[in-house]
Amino acid sequence: MATESLISAQDLAVRYPNGEIALHHVTFEVGFPSFMAIIGPNGSGKSTLVKTALGLLKPLRGSVGLLGLDSVKNQSQIRRLVRYVPQRDRIELNVPMKVKDIVLMGRLVKKPPPRVASENDKAAAKSALRQVAMEEFWERPFPELSGGQRQRVLVARALAGEGPILMLDEPLAGTDADSQNLIVDALGVYHSENDVSIIMVTHDLNPIHTLVRDVLMLKNTVVGVGAPCDVMDPGLVRELYGPTAKIVEHSGHRYCVTRDSGVDRHD
Amino acid sequence: MIDIFLMILESPFLLRALVGVLMIAIVASTSGSFLVFRGLSFMTSGVAHAALGGAALGLFLQASNIAPWFDPMLGALVFSVFVALVTGYAGETGIGEKMEVAVGVSFALSMSLAVFLMYYIPPVEVPSIWGYLVGDLLLLNNLDIVMLTGTAILLLIAAILFNKEFVYVSVDMEGSTAQGLNARAYHYLMLITSALAIALATKAVGAILVYAILVAPAAASNELLGSVRGVMIAVFVIAVISQLAGIAISLSIRASPSAIAGILAALSYVIALQIKKMRDRVHVDEELEQLLRPALEEILHEPAPEHSHTHED
Repeated sequence: MATESLISAQDLAVRYPNGEIALHHVTFEVGFPSFMAIIGPNGSGKSTLVKTALGLLKPLRGSVGLLGLDSVKNQSQIRRLVRYVPQRDRIELNVPMKVKDIVLMGRLVKKPPPRVASENDKAAAKSALRQVAMEEFWERPFPELSGGQRQRVLVARALAGEGPILMLDEPLAGTDADSQNLIVDALGVYHSENDVSIIMVTHDLNPIHTLVRDVLMLKNTVVGVGAPCDVMDPGLVRELYGPTAKIVEHSGHRYCVTRDSGVDRHD
Repeated sequence: MIDIFLMILESPFLLRALVGVLMIAIVASTSGSFLVFRGLSFMTSGVAHAALGGAALGLFLQASNIAPWFDPMLGALVFSVFVALVTGYAGETGIGEKMEVAVGVSFALSMSLAVFLMYYIPPVEVPSIWGYLVGDLLLLNNLDIVMLTGTAILLLIAAILFNKEFVYVSVDMEGSTAQGLNARAYHYLMLITSALAIALATKAVGAILVYAILVAPAAASNELLGSVRGVMIAVFVIAVISQLAGIAISLSIRASPSAIAGILAALSYVIALQIKKMRDRVHVDEELEQLLRPALEEILHEPAPEHSHTHED
């Protein structure tokens, strides 16, 4: 059997809800399994690509698919396979949920109603929280946590779930250094110990540089795709982030230094 | 004690009022809680006033003989569902602020329509439009009770069956959809059942009581409690107590039970805010103490000779 593709797009174009073109002429393919990063500056269509792959947005032209399944035709199959962590500010903090409720949600959302948590579900949720060092927050109200702790809980929600693909939208944006390290380590270990592919949208490749296998560089269209050190090319990086972007070499890896800050929204 | 029971049983007014109290409390603890979770407390007044527009349309269609079968209550329900649909459409991305604006606009549209139609309705009929906003616990009739009970039970069943789904849709619409939940269906189910309940409750017990009981206890409980179930139970309790107190007080002094219940319910929110403030202050004090304790202990346990040593120098 030929190597399956994790994510692939053919001549994809997508609009933002406000009508602007977010992505155009996007064609690429990344093999399965992989730990993949989608990078690019603010407003480059990274989140849009992920949301289109999940069927949350409709392609204007072309197609995108996960594991060979089309985002429009096989939407419900895709959604069964994916565990998704949206940008943190998408989570409504006015609902009095406990940490355990959020993490269990990752499993219960894929069960049929009445979605009762079994012992198995609880064990998986606790183990996921342990991986991001949040297990003693089990009974704590989620809205009272710090931003970094909330992000760790959301990552735990994905780790607790089931399905061969993990998709995370900016899980490191606006988090403290400790949380960032914990999340990166947890994802790295989880990826190496389980048969799971990770697709991570990020404005900053550096924290995950050594874990990532494939990088997709987006600036409304594909700027580059390849292994981390290959795409960290002065020309490509300047095309992506502008003339201030520099490449720095450190212990055999090439990193990019930019002034980009992260999270962006278009609704 | 037995006297009171006998009095209630002998008085159909009181009996209906008590059933009304329980049903309103159910509506508050289900629909009210979720509307507050979603930042949609304003939808309560939006739907109630939209119902007014629907009632006006119904009266107009009847009076002008265009559609004599169109009951004003039907109009009221159709318009409240309209508000729910507009709100739901604006909120499909899961963003609260957009829904709040949609409530405001659809509310203004329905209310304007009501005022517009009032010129074409026979003047004698106009007061009955306003009747959709003023009801009272002690003036419930049997039809009110049947409708209110029906809608409260419907809401209760929906809330029991789809409790988790409603919570998931409220907390993370995008994530729920992306992982296979039919979030849009639950989103609309939640808003439409709430809108129907608000419209029927408003007709039965009056707008003031519905606003107060649906919003204030839920907002109060949400300030203090850390779980969805806790909030829903607390709302039920606050709603029952403030309404019963309203009825009891209205029997001894000349006052509308709804007004008193409304005041008590609103007070519950003020009290909750105060408790929260006090609790936060205690919390901060404790944290400060924990931060300072090592320093304090260090000062207290510092061996004395060291000081004399520095003196010698």
